[in-house]
Amino acid sequence: MLSTLPASTLSGCLPTTRSPAVSKLAFFNSVTGGGSKIPNYRVLDALGAPIEGAEVPEISEQFAWRLYENMQLLSTLDDILCSAQRQGRIPFYSLTLISLKYGEEATVIGSAAALADDDEVLSQYRETGVLLWRGFTLDGIMAQVFGNHEDSSKGRQIAVHYGSKQHHFHAVSSPLATQIPQAAGVGFALKRDPERRSKNIACVFFGEGAASEGDFHAGMLLASTVPSPTLFLARNNGFAISTPNSQQFYGDGISARGPGYGVDTVRVDGNDVLAVMNAVKEARRLCLEGGRAVLVEMMTYRVGHHSTSDDSYAYRERQEVEDRNRNDNPITRFRLFMESQGWWNESDEQELLFRLRRDVIKALKRAETVKKPGLEDMFTDVYADEPWNIREQREELMALLKKYGQVWKPWQNELGTLKNGG
Amino acid sequence: MLARRLRSTLPALSRRWQTTASTTAIEPPSASGHSSSVASSQLLRITRESALRTPGISWQDEESDRNFVGGRETRKMNLYQAVRDALSIALAKDDSAVIFGEDIAFGGVFRCTMGLAEEFGRERVFNTPLTEQGIAGFGIGLASMGHTAIAEIQFADYIFPAFDQLVNEAAKFRYRSGGHFSIGGLTVRTPTMAVGHGGLYHSQSPEGFFMGASGLKVVIPRSPIQCKGLLLSAIRDPNPVIFMEPKVLYRSAGTFPIPPCVHTLIPPTVEQVPIDDYALPLSRAEILIPGSDLTLLTWGTPVYHCESALRLLNSPPPSLAPLIPPSLRSAKVELIDLRTILPWDIETVVESVRRTKRLVIVHEAGMTGGVGGEIAAEVGKRAFLRLEAPVRRITGWE
Repeated sequence: MLSTLPASTLSGCLPTTRSPAVSKLAFFNSVTGGGSKIPNYRVLDALGAPIEGAEVPEISEQFAWRLYENMQLLSTLDDILCSAQRQGRIPFYSLTLISLKYGEEATVIGSAAALADDDEVLSQYRETGVLLWRGFTLDGIMAQVFGNHEDSSKGRQIAVHYGSKQHHFHAVSSPLATQIPQAAGVGFALKRDPERRSKNIACVFFGEGAASEGDFHAGMLLASTVPSPTLFLARNNGFAISTPNSQQFYGDGISARGPGYGVDTVRVDGNDVLAVMNAVKEARRLCLEGGRAVLVEMMTYRVGHHSTSDDSYAYRERQEVEDRNRNDNPITRFRLFMESQGWWNESDEQELLFRLRRDVIKALKRAETVKKPGLEDMFTDVYADEPWNIREQREELMALLKKYGQVWKPWQNELGTLKNGG
Repeated sequence: MLARRLRSTLPALSRRWQTTASTTAIEPPSASGHSSSVASSQLLRITRESALRTPGISWQDEESDRNFVGGRETRKMNLYQAVRDALSIALAKDDSAVIFGEDIAFGGVFRCTMGLAEEFGRERVFNTPLTEQGIAGFGIGLASMGHTAIAEIQFADYIFPAFDQLVNEAAKFRYRSGGHFSIGGLTVRTPTMAVGHGGLYHSQSPEGFFMGASGLKVVIPRSPIQCKGLLLSAIRDPNPVIFMEPKVLYRSAGTFPIPPCVHTLIPPTVEQVPIDDYALPLSRAEILIPGSDLTLLTWGTPVYHCESALRLLNSPPPSLAPLIPPSLRSAKVELIDLRTILPWDIETVVESVRRTKRLVIVHEAGMTGGVGGEIAAEVGKRAFLRLEAPVRRITGWE
């Protein structure tokens, strides 16, 4: 008996497609069709010159300076804080200082520059650049890294786990990818808020390794189905600690996954700050307009070690790192562009590097002298109120301190470093 | 007598523990042995008068006198209807409140969200894809922006994919940010405990797994009136709360024998639930039956098993009488419903044990690592010299 139903009703229940019927059995394995790979959007070549057909954004000299200075600041911070850690100046408990950016400066500064200052940002831990772009002070950076009493999170977290409500930068947490579905919820809140709907998006950063977590899949699903205006920025830097991409996934990077969720996607040269800026700006516009997830994959290379606890030459060739750093350096590429515009010269460079190093070292030295939070602060904020178990534990510690704090040298020394003597 | 006098001077007195004492009396079972009729519970408030006098009830109306009881209405509701009523009030009064989870929109697999999508719209009551970690993460993000996020995990057995989000993120959200970020608006509702036919994966009681997640609250109601008031409190509490609803208590009619003990029938958990907005306090246990010889502490479905057990102990049928020494039959056992599991009401429990000198904790979850061990350790520490027997636990088999 032949079916009398039209062919289209036999195509299943897909939300956005109507699958045509075909007679030839053919497997596919490319989101761009015909076996081609996803292209890489770029504006500047390796020497900072616009490529053919490039869409060079219209930026002022001042704006270019701001981009460049922030990228150099990230690099300087990385350099000095890593040295300080090796010298033992960063406190013992912050032994693992995550490499801030080294090699990925353009991904984060370019993105930050394309977002609105009050777009809600949820990050992984390599996005300090967003905070710097938004005006977070070096004193604030150092307070968190040193865990002193000026730290807004009261010295509770491992280094580089910043948070700033004022800068719309959600507190960082160590578990990877947990921020991704949370961002979908943040985006939904923005959509539900009449004051911020159509004005702001939620923006979430994560690495290509974190994108293997189930939370990536969950976040993409929520933001694409609910839907919510959430911008997914994947930094593909080639390594998840020691694990290279070839051991992390088999498909065409993270961008290949976007269309799987029905999400507008683009891949961009992450070491080209102008390309990143262009791409994220357009992605943001699509996100606001569609009220739905958009995915940007930024291709870059992690020049630095994963953290101060890592020696990456244990799993990759030093030559490879040096070559990448020389041939595809985000800071160099943009500097060459600025020089070609007549906006930069060698003496500007010397001056900037000198000033940045001076400012960072000054903030570091100052932070070293600031005391850690008092121990009372260790017990607050577990709940909004204080339940009996927290109260009793706090009282127990206070009693122990009273008993031993004055007579036991190791404790005496420790208490001396705390605000109000503990 | 004492309880009645004290109650008449409430709320002037700030007696911390509330008791249903004077409204309960244990009814002896029928002479034939086990109840051939529908099981009943003296703990359920099936009249308007008794319902309006639920201990600890706190009316949340703006206009009228907070303690005015006189003209208030009640309606017969079972547990899922009480959940729905609470959710409806939450959405009506809080514009930022939304409800989401799997199969929420059509009404939910237990009908807890019936009619809500129609009443409040699909932007506020909606389905999510099948991903518990996504549901929890989404709820955390939404609550971090100050909104009221009411998430549902379809069965407590499936809460484990969300464990990372709940323990590593939700519990620590306020603490790790120095108090600058918080997610008080998050409530995660989930059906819990055995239903009789659920097997391994529709019957679990995972509250014990969350005891170490300081920063979270865990609440388990025993009846419709309790459920509505505790759920509204949980939604409005400035901390993330996991609200576990004993699923066997959802439905109105019928009794569900839980094999293998045919004597333990779950009564129809239907009460006259006040239709107004009211709250019941979190972290406050409730003494359901006063006693002096032993404290029996439990929560959720086992409240009714305990009540039945006390009846049987008090007046054993002929078949059991030889096994129960007459001296035990006059034991006056104090039955307490813990209600909030984390942070739990240590004051009420310890005060009771100091009087009775014996404690038995009952929970459906298995013994090892169950909540009972934690309570036993704390009570043992504080009442050691008063105890006349070790603290014992009666739990599900592992």
